[in-house]
Amino acid sequence: MTRQNFGVALLSGLLKPLRFLRQNRQAQIIFFLALIIFPLFIFIVTVVLPVARNPFEASAESAALENSEALPDSTPAEIVTGRRELAQKMAALEIDQAFLQTRLELSKQDSICLIVDLLDSTANLEVKGVPMRRGKILRYRSSGLARRLRRQGRLHQWLATPFVLQEQLATLPKATIRLKEAPKDTIEAAESKGEDLPIEQRDAQFTLQFDRNLTLSVEQAQPPSFSGRLRELWYDLRRNFNEAGDAVAALMHLQLPQHRMWIEIELSREDAKAIYRALPTQAGLALRL
Amino acid sequence: MTEEAKNITAQPSSLPEVSQNVEKIPEIDHSPAVAKGTMAQPLPAAKSAAGKALLVGISLGLFLALLTLWFAPVWREWLFAILPESKFALQLRTTDIKQLRKEAQRLEKRVASLQKKYAAITPRLPYLIVNTSENRIQIMKGWEQLHEGVCSTGSYVLLRSAAQQRQWMFVTPRGMFQIRGKRVNPVWAKPDWAFIEEGLPVPPLGSPERFEAGVLGEYALELGDGYLIHGTLYKRMLGMPVTHGCVRLGDEDLRLVYKNLQIGSKVFIY
Repeated sequence: MTRQNFGVALLSGLLKPLRFLRQNRQAQIIFFLALIIFPLFIFIVTVVLPVARNPFEASAESAALENSEALPDSTPAEIVTGRRELAQKMAALEIDQAFLQTRLELSKQDSICLIVDLLDSTANLEVKGVPMRRGKILRYRSSGLARRLRRQGRLHQWLATPFVLQEQLATLPKATIRLKEAPKDTIEAAESKGEDLPIEQRDAQFTLQFDRNLTLSVEQAQPPSFSGRLRELWYDLRRNFNEAGDAVAALMHLQLPQHRMWIEIELSREDAKAIYRALPTQAGLALRL
Repeated sequence: MTEEAKNITAQPSSLPEVSQNVEKIPEIDHSPAVAKGTMAQPLPAAKSAAGKALLVGISLGLFLALLTLWFAPVWREWLFAILPESKFALQLRTTDIKQLRKEAQRLEKRVASLQKKYAAITPRLPYLIVNTSENRIQIMKGWEQLHEGVCSTGSYVLLRSAAQQRQWMFVTPRGMFQIRGKRVNPVWAKPDWAFIEEGLPVPPLGSPERFEAGVLGEYALELGDGYLIHGTLYKRMLGMPVTHGCVRLGDEDLRLVYKNLQIGSKVFIY
């Protein structure tokens, strides 16, 4: 059987249960309406409206700023270019300022925090402003919305204060706790001393959800083991399920689900593991992108 | 005429054959529906087709809705990518170019001052960084690394004593600490867990059995709450998470740490 024939056979097999619709206009209309109504509703409330009303997009203030930038058509090209370059420089400086302010604010806290600098390709663990571990970001991807806001020079407002960790999901545990029952006597204690320490070779992949709609996903650069792949699959499923669950929860409360600004970074397994294990609950994050 | 209607009209001709064998079944007269020739009253078959269409449509629709929900973030990203951007991509507070230049200069100065302020946070005295994930240490001075070595940190063993109904978790705490004391040839004051772990009876506090010399190496540096940086007799275990929460070092590393870190020096553990 050729591939085309197989396709036709598969399609006709799939459509077989719908044969009752043939030559029945009324049933066809009912079927079509019933088919389209739920996906359309979900598409509108979870895709179209959240995009149209996302909190990052133009506020009333920025709309006013847009108008103020309008120049007459007769403006010389050099002035237009000069203004654009200046605007870009100022936008970059404002991001730098926001990033440094956030780091200084985090340095006042006692707990370990994460500093992600996508422009410098580093992910550092810091406490009291002292970098303890410097991780090299090997690759990163970010939400189209983030790139859009950056181009519009609006990103610094969002980056101006530390993000606070709210939820985390990972393929590895925070700590591998081993339970040991106290020996009854010295003989039992001597026997248990000979036990080997398990060598941990877990793959590291995790997602950190911060406030202000930020999701940071970290992946290890090394390819995972077979068991690691299975864990990864389970982790991906849980992550998507959580996201869909959040959308449903928002709809149940008659609210629109919000689009999360996501960033995916790739680190070495060691860096990823060290960062995940060191971060406390409600850890702070300073971000530059 | 629909297929169902055709089937219905076709039935009477086939009925006699069937009724020869099944005599008790009364003959069904379909003639009125056919004779009127209208669809004013929906036929039962058409009704059932509509019901079936509704049911199948809703089921498939719900499935598609779930798929839409599952892939909603991807759809949104796609929408953000294709939607046109604002005509004026970068917004400025003023159209005056001189004013803008001034503002840019002011921003530059502000960023430089923040950078200076931030750089001043790094301790001037040598400090120690302990990596519990890989069991390594770094002695640092400012941004410069003076030495790197191996250590052993907390094993994450939860020791449970059913007899005493007590439990201990052997973890090296994370965060920033300070050296609170320095000792030469330290003597270990053994806590209760050291006896329970060995299957020995716990002696009373202050008992001479609790004190053991020579097991902590040449030096010990106190971090507070009973946590120490000290030496070890089990050097082959260095680099592994085997301790009860203290940071164990090899002889040479311990000597360097002792030499470089003063009381008040910072220790960063992650």
